[in-house]
Amino acid sequence: MVHFGKTLTLASLFLFLMLISVGGASGKILYNDTIEQGDGFQINDYVIDVAEVFPGQDSVIIQVYEGDTKDPKYDKLISVGGSYKFKIEGEDVEITAISVHSGVVPRAKLAITITDDDFINSKTLGVVNGGHSEAELSSTPVLAISKSVDKSNINVGDIIRVTVTVENTGDGDAHDVIFSDPNQERFILIDDILGSPGRIDVSTSDAVKKIYVYDLKATEAGTFSLNPTTAIFTNSVGDSFPQASSNRPAVTVSGSSLMKNATLDVTMEVDRYTIDRNKDLQGTVRIKNTGNAPASAVTVGIIVPEGLEYVSGDSGIEEISGVPTIYMESFGVQQEKEIIFKLKAAEEGTYTLSADSSYLFSNGVDSEMQEVSSSTVTKSVYVTKGKYDHLFEQPIYVYLIPLLLIGVIASWVYHRHKQYKF
Amino acid sequence: MLNILIIGNGQCGNRILDAINREAFGKKSRFAKFYSQQKYKSNVQTIAINTAINDLKEMKFTKAKDRIHIPHLHGVGANRNVGKHVFEDNKANILKQVEERGNFDVAFILTSASGGTGSSFTPLLVKEFKQKFDFPVYALVVLPFREEGTLYLQNAAFCLRDIRESGADGIILADNQFLKQMGGNVESAYNGINDMIARRLLFLMDALDSEMMMVTDLGDFKTVMSGGAGLATIGFYEADSEMPIKNAIRESLSPSGLLFSTNVYEEASRSMVIIKGDRKYLSIDDISSEVEKLSSSVGHVFKGIIVRNEELPQVLTVLTLESASELENLYSIAVDAINYEKQKKDRVNNDKEVDRAFSQIDGMDPSY
Repeated sequence: MVHFGKTLTLASLFLFLMLISVGGASGKILYNDTIEQGDGFQINDYVIDVAEVFPGQDSVIIQVYEGDTKDPKYDKLISVGGSYKFKIEGEDVEITAISVHSGVVPRAKLAITITDDDFINSKTLGVVNGGHSEAELSSTPVLAISKSVDKSNINVGDIIRVTVTVENTGDGDAHDVIFSDPNQERFILIDDILGSPGRIDVSTSDAVKKIYVYDLKATEAGTFSLNPTTAIFTNSVGDSFPQASSNRPAVTVSGSSLMKNATLDVTMEVDRYTIDRNKDLQGTVRIKNTGNAPASAVTVGIIVPEGLEYVSGDSGIEEISGVPTIYMESFGVQQEKEIIFKLKAAEEGTYTLSADSSYLFSNGVDSEMQEVSSSTVTKSVYVTKGKYDHLFEQPIYVYLIPLLLIGVIASWVYHRHKQYKF
Repeated sequence: MLNILIIGNGQCGNRILDAINREAFGKKSRFAKFYSQQKYKSNVQTIAINTAINDLKEMKFTKAKDRIHIPHLHGVGANRNVGKHVFEDNKANILKQVEERGNFDVAFILTSASGGTGSSFTPLLVKEFKQKFDFPVYALVVLPFREEGTLYLQNAAFCLRDIRESGADGIILADNQFLKQMGGNVESAYNGINDMIARRLLFLMDALDSEMMMVTDLGDFKTVMSGGAGLATIGFYEADSEMPIKNAIRESLSPSGLLFSTNVYEEASRSMVIIKGDRKYLSIDDISSEVEKLSSSVGHVFKGIIVRNEELPQVLTVLTLESASELENLYSIAVDAINYEKQKKDRVNNDKEVDRAFSQIDGMDPSY
């Protein structure tokens, strides 16, 4: 009985010393639990496999694999209480065999520590059932997007075909790839042959893929670099990668422009920018078509902030849903118009007036009318205290008491007047 | 506290009454009634009576309920006979109004002797009062300017006689002719006379109801007023700067201080001297020497002294008269006026010159 007690005490002391030595030597503990034989523990692209457990000999064989190599980089037999140290990304990794356990599937309790874990991707850290052969290794897909045109020197009205391809030149598949190909100014999309590719995967084993094929019609002369096609994607473990971008092929277009524009300059100003409360101020909206096409359905909504009140305006202004609105069916090239309106400064404060304008025009190229919207704001309008505002800033009793007093005096005077009126 | 009734009869009485009510506010402003209270020491009830509604409307400081209009066109036209009839027709209403105001210790009736309503109403009203009530009734009678006309002089003569015979406890005379010396235009002269009378009556009422260093009360006043021939007048002086009290007493007895022209030392029968002012002006020696001088001529002099801090000397004297030479003069002129009026009427009745002119067209009709 005494012998059993001594053995228990020594074993406890040994376990305590071992735990102290593990903690003290390695720094951060990554794992401290049992792993079944055949399973492994992954740290980024490294997998520590528990290759074989020997409960009878109190030892375990550890194999360390790097990447998807078939042969282990390290292969060690560690006795219980013993440890093995190696380097990953320059950091010391120490594996300590704490205990081994028999069973249908033998297990080994391991303590895995690392000096610094900053480089470890949390998505590739942990126990891997089946060991290294089942580990999801992180990879780095690289998408090479290429944009090309069939002709780089054309005339206005000519059509070019744009082809966008992609190729994965990285070491892993690209997942959830979403392409973006913005509209091309000064060109009109004539035919979208492939349509939108949607969300796709691009494997390293894939051949060069065509993503977009479309035809553009040149509308203006000049040399233009086409907008780049971009893509966002992730790797196999879901890591997002920086946006990939294509090249920008240049196209030189000769000849005169087919496109016409209606360009309405809408400005708004007020006659005073500092005004007393309850005073009126006059606003002026000026519209000028500086483009080379007439505009239609010209609408200018005068957005009056709370604190200012719309009072009246020229006949061209009509209040629609409380918004003073100017509407003109058509507005010719170089036409100018000035519309005057009146506002009342209702509340003290600082305000800006804005005019939201919109109009339609035909650009001479597209069959559909082009719609243009814009907004303009005035400088700040400062509404200061009105001439008599200070009279109403006092508490109510300041007004009530004199009124009461006046009422009493008036009643008394009236009473006296009645007494003496014959 | 005394209960005093003051009645203003006719236009003159109304105006004096309004002046008293105005003076009682203690302010000169015409708006005083809106922000001030009358400062009567006693319970003073005032009533204005007139047949002319416009005269009542002119009053500003007498409450509407205290103005009694006796409806008779617009006045009685200085005709005392008409006035007497109107009074008889309305005396029940007048007496009812007086009774409604309670009981009184003394009454003053203010009137002109020469007008219509006042001169005719006052003797009858005094008579009614004396029959109905037991308080003393004093009439303050204003005599006319001598040149105001024969009707007024005639009215004054008969009115004074009627009041004296009505049983009045005393007649206080104020003479417009004597007061004419104040000068100025007619309106300011009349207003000045009214104000003088008002100040004297207010002073008298205040004195009769004040605590005094030396007492004169209503009893003394009655005694004074019962002396002489039933006629009295009032003298008054209010110093506008510091002065010896004996000078103030003399001033109140001088022609400029009296309401009626009289030689005090020859014609007065009894007197009451009331002196008011700051203690520093009230030299007993001076007061005694002046009162002694007066009493050596008059007989008995009641004196009262009211101490009012920081007030300049003021003196009121009430004098009853044994004789009144000025009144005799008035009656002498009045007799001439009565005779003149009588002769004129006789002439009209006898000559009938106008009737003769009219008789030329008797029996004729106009042709058109």
